[in-house]
This record gives sequence, structure tokens and C-alpha cells, in this order.
Amino acid sequence: MLQYYDPNSSDTTNPQPLNPNTDYGTPASESKTLVSVAVDGRNITVPEGTSVLRAAALAGINIPKLCASDNLEAFGSCRLCAVEIEGRRGYPASCTTPVAEGMSVTTQTGKLAKLRRNIMELYISDHPLDCLTCPANGDCELQDMAGAVGLREVRYGFDGENHLDTQTDNSNPYFSFDPSKCIVCSRCVRACAEVQGTFALTIEGRGFDSKVVASQNDSFMNSECVSCGACVQACPTSTLMEKTVIDAGIPEHSVVTTCAYCGVGCSFKAEMKGDQLIRMVPYKGGAANQGHSCVKGRFAFGYATHKDRIKEPMIRASIDDPWQVVSWDEALAFSAKRLKAIQAQYGRESIGGITSSRCTNEETYLVQKLVRAAFGNNNTDTCARVCHSPTGYGLKTTMGESAGTQTFDSVMKADTIVVIGANPTDAHPVFGSQLRRRLRQGAQLIVIDPRRIDLLSTPHAGKGIHLALRPGTNVAVVNALAHVIVTEGLEDQAFISSRCDTEAYNRWRSFIAEQRNSPEAMEAVSGVPASTVREAARAYAEVENAAIYYGLGVTEHSQGSTMVMGIANLAMATGNIGREGGGVNPLRGQNNVQGSCDMGSFPHELPGYQHVNDDVVRSRFEAAWGATIDHEPGLRIPNMFDAAIAGTFKGLYIQGEDIAQSDPNTQHVEAALRALDCVIVQDIFLNETAKFAHVLLPGSTFLEKNGTFTNAERRINRVRKVMAPIAGMEDWQVTMALSNALGYPMHYNHPSEIMDEIAALTPTFTGVSYDKLEQLGSIQWPCNDKHPEGMPTMHVNDFPIGKGRFAVTEYLATEERSSRRFPLLLTTGRILSQYNVGSQTRRTDNSKWHEQDVLEIHPSDAELRGIHDGDWLGISSRVGHTVLRAQLSERMLPGVVYTTFHHPGSGANVVTTDNSDWATNCPEYKVTAVQVEVVSQPSEWQRNFKRFDKRQQKLLKPAMHNEGSQHAKPTD
Amino acid sequence: MSEQQLSNLIKMLEQIIANNLHQGEAAEVAEVAATHVHNFWARSMKQLIINLANTHPEQLSTVALQAVVLLQAKSVGQPASFNP
Repeated sequence: MLQYYDPNSSDTTNPQPLNPNTDYGTPASESKTLVSVAVDGRNITVPEGTSVLRAAALAGINIPKLCASDNLEAFGSCRLCAVEIEGRRGYPASCTTPVAEGMSVTTQTGKLAKLRRNIMELYISDHPLDCLTCPANGDCELQDMAGAVGLREVRYGFDGENHLDTQTDNSNPYFSFDPSKCIVCSRCVRACAEVQGTFALTIEGRGFDSKVVASQNDSFMNSECVSCGACVQACPTSTLMEKTVIDAGIPEHSVVTTCAYCGVGCSFKAEMKGDQLIRMVPYKGGAANQGHSCVKGRFAFGYATHKDRIKEPMIRASIDDPWQVVSWDEALAFSAKRLKAIQAQYGRESIGGITSSRCTNEETYLVQKLVRAAFGNNNTDTCARVCHSPTGYGLKTTMGESAGTQTFDSVMKADTIVVIGANPTDAHPVFGSQLRRRLRQGAQLIVIDPRRIDLLSTPHAGKGIHLALRPGTNVAVVNALAHVIVTEGLEDQAFISSRCDTEAYNRWRSFIAEQRNSPEAMEAVSGVPASTVREAARAYAEVENAAIYYGLGVTEHSQGSTMVMGIANLAMATGNIGREGGGVNPLRGQNNVQGSCDMGSFPHELPGYQHVNDDVVRSRFEAAWGATIDHEPGLRIPNMFDAAIAGTFKGLYIQGEDIAQSDPNTQHVEAALRALDCVIVQDIFLNETAKFAHVLLPGSTFLEKNGTFTNAERRINRVRKVMAPIAGMEDWQVTMALSNALGYPMHYNHPSEIMDEIAALTPTFTGVSYDKLEQLGSIQWPCNDKHPEGMPTMHVNDFPIGKGRFAVTEYLATEERSSRRFPLLLTTGRILSQYNVGSQTRRTDNSKWHEQDVLEIHPSDAELRGIHDGDWLGISSRVGHTVLRAQLSERMLPGVVYTTFHHPGSGANVVTTDNSDWATNCPEYKVTAVQVEVVSQPSEWQRNFKRFDKRQQKLLKPAMHNEGSQHAKPTD
Repeated sequence: MSEQQLSNLIKMLEQIIANNLHQGEAAEVAEVAATHVHNFWARSMKQLIINLANTHPEQLSTVALQAVVLLQAKSVGQPASFNP
């Protein structure tokens, strides 16, 4: 976390944290050398390299400024921050002047006041005088500075040449660009470059003609702008302004909370007027994002108040019946009665539940508790099953803990950064910007991915090494990398001998050194030139600090767990564990993947990854819960589907997860859902799964509840309620009520009480409490007696299993292979503007960037098939057929095609198979053999989908408009 | 029980074995596979694969059959069946 030296503190070894609501003018200096200066007669000691502007701000002396901000390098263009320095001539800009030992600075004199007023007069002579009707009225730095310098007149008048008639660019759905109000301070341009790293903005022209433009003088919408909002945040006037503020006015209060999109876990200030959310402003005090944001977290919150929100509980006897609005009590009683009836007829193990990685820790904890204690079985699973379950298995096996090892900030000390099967600039954009910052500083990038991801095109970064492997050959490549490290003597023998199990290491070393694992032997398998693999291995192993970041391109394979272990092997072999700059870092797709796994969502593990067959562990939970817990693992999600089709699994409670759209082999999932007698969906919309449901319980968005999320760094962040839950109950309250209806009592008054219970039962959480979270801001677990304030970097001195365990990672080709009939390999992923199944982002203006899923195909594959950009393409696999528009792309090698699954009608998962990881059943989304051809009509599945969707919307409509008979009781 | 469910269980077991052949001789591989199934499979899945091994052993590889025998022994060693 960023820190600064507090001149008021007598203890120089104990720096105080920044006040995140203060702009200190320029970034902090990281120097350990301290220098003492006097500002307006006040002595201040600050790190060498600190600007005079910042030193003054740290001492509470506010020098006027316009072009400076503490998230941007000093620029020195506005000259408003001029000061006088004893012994120096003129009026240096305090933002670009570093402090020096013994320096004496004066920030206010008559001459300085005159100079500053003159600067402001020049600015205002070319600025509209419409403060009273300006959207930034009351929140404008230019206005503040006019007041600060005592501006009383503009001697230059307003009749000269000006920019007041320039047109506003309203092309971006979320913010407008009004150049008539621009003072050309360049903060937006620098924010786009330094904070976001996109370099979409520039200053065009010289002198009076200077103006901010996007890309090649394009509209914002047509430019390279990614709508992260950094420019809007940086703008000191209303030139760049959120349209919600233009419409509604300046917010009057704010609440700090945590974004519910990806696994970065950005902190935001939800700025409100009453109970209306006006804007989300990235919070500088958020340790994960430090004031930055992306288009999803910053702007795509409109879904929370979308007309499609489910506002009342509903029930129906069968999925062919209309939904009927009922009271909470009726819905819960109906659910409990059906679930009990199923268990009476089919047995205790015939029902189960699915927790959500979108919900809070407290909510996932309660769902798994409900399943284990109230349902009386361990049939609980989570959507992490289909994304990062191999991470849990692989990292626990090798290093003893199912979690990433680092903070995000750690990357700033990495000399080489390896990104495997991940696309951070799209899927984890705020961390992607941090990565790009480090790449611009000179770190070497290695990308292992079938696609050429945008990180490889980072402006002002060095040339990255791209290992464009064939889908399904990850393990072949990671073994080849390890082979080079072992055979070229690049191992860290000191680390291995002191920190790793010798027997396991020797076994692994003998295996990996075999010639069949060499880059040359694996070249035919992976398609990656041996020389490139060798170059990458050396670039990883020969530097001081090398870090690995990986995503679903690692886990969603038949050897997902093997690959995770292969990654851990690489890090241990090179000693890149236990310090900043290194580590193994899974990039979690959803906001609370880490948390949902931590909270015991998997069927074999109680919270804290404690196995259900451990009698001691189980007895502690049984004592606390007052219930007997089954010692056998329960069904995983794919196993639930199989059992449903087999007729032995009949009831499912699903909180915040859309298995009908997100899970592979859609036809199989749909068949399973149709086979169930009771599907209870708790969600914010009628999602694809809810169309197969019998009970619909209104869910609450992250804005409507209290709780915590745990991000990819193991950082537990507070989620704070900013508006009332739309149906009166937060999600944890709904689960609690369902449990009570089932006869298993749950009584909590606040999620903090649930966290207290978690802390009492989970060794890695014993020190976590809401009070401590308020005190520290966030906590990276483990947080216990040994690590009372959490643990930013894991495995510093040892592993939870004592010694690190190398694992033999034999490469096995997937059964899903290309053939004459299915000659192409389909791989799937995500894009920046949409999130997962899209149920949230599709209900925002983000859809303007991505209205439909397309199939990216290499021009040579397209030419062979007579395919042109925009053609309808039929995509056939061994399990299904769907139709998408073609988009020619050279991001992939010939033979590989790519799509996303953000739109349900696309049917991307109609073609993916139910092949899965050998250890965890995580689906093999990343490899599907397909054929594509030009077609003229949607697939049969798509036609059926459209009909079914229309029918289900019709069954919902009367209930949504309160046209249905209130509180009617369907036969059950 | 459905054919598809059984074929998926067979596939899963054989996949576990294939990914652990490096563990040593057949007996060692079978032990690893049995332990994995014991730790991660639901009771009903274990019972189905045990039943299959008893009724249609030809559908499983030799190592898989060995693993199922070991699995059965592990299951016997567990606490008495669960009664909430």
C-alpha cells in the first residue's frame, strides 16, 4: 500500500497511511533518504525526490495547482503552483522542483499572488462564464483555484480569440467531452498514458491551437479510448464529465465499497444523491486499484436499477406455468416443502446447492452451511468449479495453499512477467494497466497463449516473447520451459535444497530432464519453435525476480491441474517464491472466486479448505453448527447434471449463478435442469437458468448489501450497502430464511456476525473481523495469531505443508483433437466491455461496444472456406452446432478460432464439450474441435432457444407487471 | 443410474489413472487413483463405480479395477453411514 512519511510523526520508522481523499499534487518518492526543508517557516522531513508541492501538502499547506495530481508525474505547465525558494531566482513550479536539504520555501507572497491571479485571468479569458449552470459547479478545480487566488477581474476581457464555440463530443455513452471548457492542462492525456497505459489521447496543434484529441482526431467512441474513466477523473473542469452528473447534479454523499466485476476487487466511492447512485469513483485508498478503474466498474452499474430486475418472489408448479408473485414466506415455504418432499422420496442426497463467486463471503458461507447442515449432505459446489478449481488442487498439492502468492503491487518489482492463458487488459483491466506500467519501465514480457493478446502491443514497452502454442498443449510447453531451466543450470539450488522436499524434487528433476520434454521434442506438439521456448526460459530464470500470472487458459483444460502444478514447479525451481516481484498468481475471473473457494463451497471441503473426511475438523463444525456433517464429499456441478439426468438428483438451490449459459455442453445442462423437480434460483434477473426454475427469489446487487469479497490477492475487502435491497432482503437474509423454513435455525443480525463465525472455524481467518477491516481497510489472509494484520506475500519462510513439493507433470494430449471432420480448434474467452454471461453488462451501455459474440477466424482459414468478414458461420463440434458472425482476425494462428459467451443466444457453449480436468472436473472450454462453414440461418438450437426465451418471457410478464393473481398457490 | 453417468464415471477414473501413470507400478497408480476418488467423489459415484466393477469388470482397465478394489477397502474403513 502507498505510504508517505508524516512530518508530524516523531517516529520516522512508522509512516502514516495516505489520506485517500487528499490530492498531494505529485507521486510519492520511494527514496529511503530523508531531507529536511522549511515551507513557510515550518520544518518538514520528507523522502529525497519529493516535490516541493507534495512536501507542502504533506504539511497541510495547499499550494494552488491545476495541472498537477498525485497519480501523475509532475508536468509543470500551469505554473499556478509557483513558489519562491530562498537563494534561487524566479518562481519555480513547486510540482517539478524536488526538495533539497535545508531548502526554505515560501508559498505566499504578494508577487506570487499577482502571478497566480494573472495565470487565472488568462485561463478564464477563454473559459465560459457559466458556473451556475455548469455540471461541475461545486466540484470544479478551476472554480476552486479562482477562489484560492482571489480572482476578481479578468483584465484581458472576453472578446478575444477563444475556443468557446467548439462542439461537445457526446459519442461516449458514459461521459461527454466539451472542449470549450478545456484548459489544456494535459491531465487527461497523461492519465490515459500513465495510469491507463492506452495512449488514446494527445495534444494536437501548437500554442493557441493546442487541443485535446482522441486518437487521430476521432470521436471518443471511434477512438482507441477504452472508457476506463481515468481522464474523466483527472479533468479539473467539466470538460470530461459523467453524463449521470450532467443529468442529476453533483452527488451529496458517498460510501466506499468494492466492485462486483472481476477478481481485481477495485474499491470505489459510490457517490449518491439520496438513494440514487450517481457515479462510481475509483477510490485512491483501495489497495488493489489505488484510484484506477475500468469501463465496467466505473460506468456499468445501471443494471442495478434496470427494469428487468426481479422485485418480488415468484413460484410456479412447472416451467410451463406462468410465474405467480407470492410473499417471501409463501415462496420459502413452497421451496422448503418441495425440497423436503424430494428428500423423502429420493433420499437425502437428492438435492444440492450452488454458491456464487459474485456473492459475498458471508453469503457463500451460508449457502454451503445450508447444504451441509440443513440439506444434510455435501452437495455444494460453486461456479469456481468451471474456472479455477484446478488452481485450488494444483497449488495446494505443490505449495500447500489454494491461493495466489502475491499482492498486485508485487508486479512492480518483477523483471520478467509471464502471462499464461490470460488477457489482463480485457478481463482484469486495472491490473492490466499496472502490468503495462511495469512493462514501460522495462520488464520483459512473456506471453503463453494461442492468441496475440493486447499486452504484447503495449505502447513504449519492449518486445514481448510470444509462445503461440496450439490449444491443449500448455503442459508440453511448461515442461519444455522447465527442461531448459534444469538442463542449462538455471535452477536456484539454494532455494530448492532449503525449501523443497528433496525426494519429490529429485523425481521431478529426473523426469523433466528427459529429452522427450525438451523444447525440440515438444515443438511438434505445441507448435512453438524450440528457440523461442529456450529464449523464454532463460528470460524467466536468469533475472532476479520473475512472476507468473495466469488465467482460465491454464485451468480450463483436461490437464488444468497438471498445468497449475507445472507453473508451481517453475517458480520453485527458480526460487521465485516468498518475495515481491515473483510468485504464482492466478487471475480470478469473478469478483469473489477466491472467497467462494475459501468459504467451503466445494463439496469435499469445509471453509478454509478443510476436508470433510477429517473427523477433528468436522467435529468442530458440528459443534458450532449443531448439526451432523456427512464425512463423504458431495456432488460437483457436472456430477449433479449427470445424476439429474439419471433421475437420482432432483432439487437444486442456485444463488447468483447462471449454469444454463456458462456451463459447457448446453444441451446436457438443459436436459439436467428439465429433469429436476425443484429448481430454486436466487438472482437479480430472469437469467437462462431461471427459465427452468420453479422458485424465483429476488437477489440483491452488491450495492444493496453488506459483506466482504476476497480478490485474487487474497485481499478481503468490505462491501457496503449504499441502497436498500430491491425486494427487502439481502442475499444472506434469503438463505437464512430458507434455512429456517427448512427447520434448521439460522439467526444472524448482520454479516459481521457471519464473519465472526467464519473466523472461529477457519484457521486462516481467525484474526478477521469487520472491526479490523474498518481499521486496516483490507486484509490479505492468512490473518491469525501468526499474521495478525494479514500476509501480503505468502510462503516467505516456509510452506503450509512444510517443504514445497515438486510434482511430475506428464503431458497427455486431450481427447478433443482436430480431425478431418473437425479441423479447427475453438477456444473461448472474454472481452473488455462485457462480463461473463453478460446478464449485468448487457443491461448497460457497455453493449454499444459488443452487441454480439462473433467467431474470430484467421484470414487463411477463412479464405479456404470462402468466408468473408461479417458472414454467418455455422460452427459444428462433436456435441452441437451454433451460428455466429465471422470476424477475420490474425490474433490466432491458422487452425484456431475464437469466440466469447457473453450473449445467451450465441450458443457458444452449445458446441463446447463436457470434457474436463482430470482432477477437478473443470470443463475444457479452451479446446473444442470444430468445423465452420458459411450458412444462411440460425442453428436449430438457436431457433429453439428463441422460442423458449419468448415463451418464458411471456410467462414472466404478468408477474413483472403485477398482472398475475397475487399470492396464488400453484399445486405442488 | 444412466449409461451416460456410468460412462462419464469410467472416463473420469481412467483419466485420473492416465494422469498418474508416472507414479510407478500399477499398484502404486491404483493406490493414487483410489485415494483421489476417495477424497473427491461423492458417495453415490463411488457406489456406482464399485457396482460396475462387480457387475461389468470388462468395462474397466486392469488398473482401474485395482483402484476400485482399494476404494472399496477405504470406504469400509470410514465411519458408519451417515444419519442426520
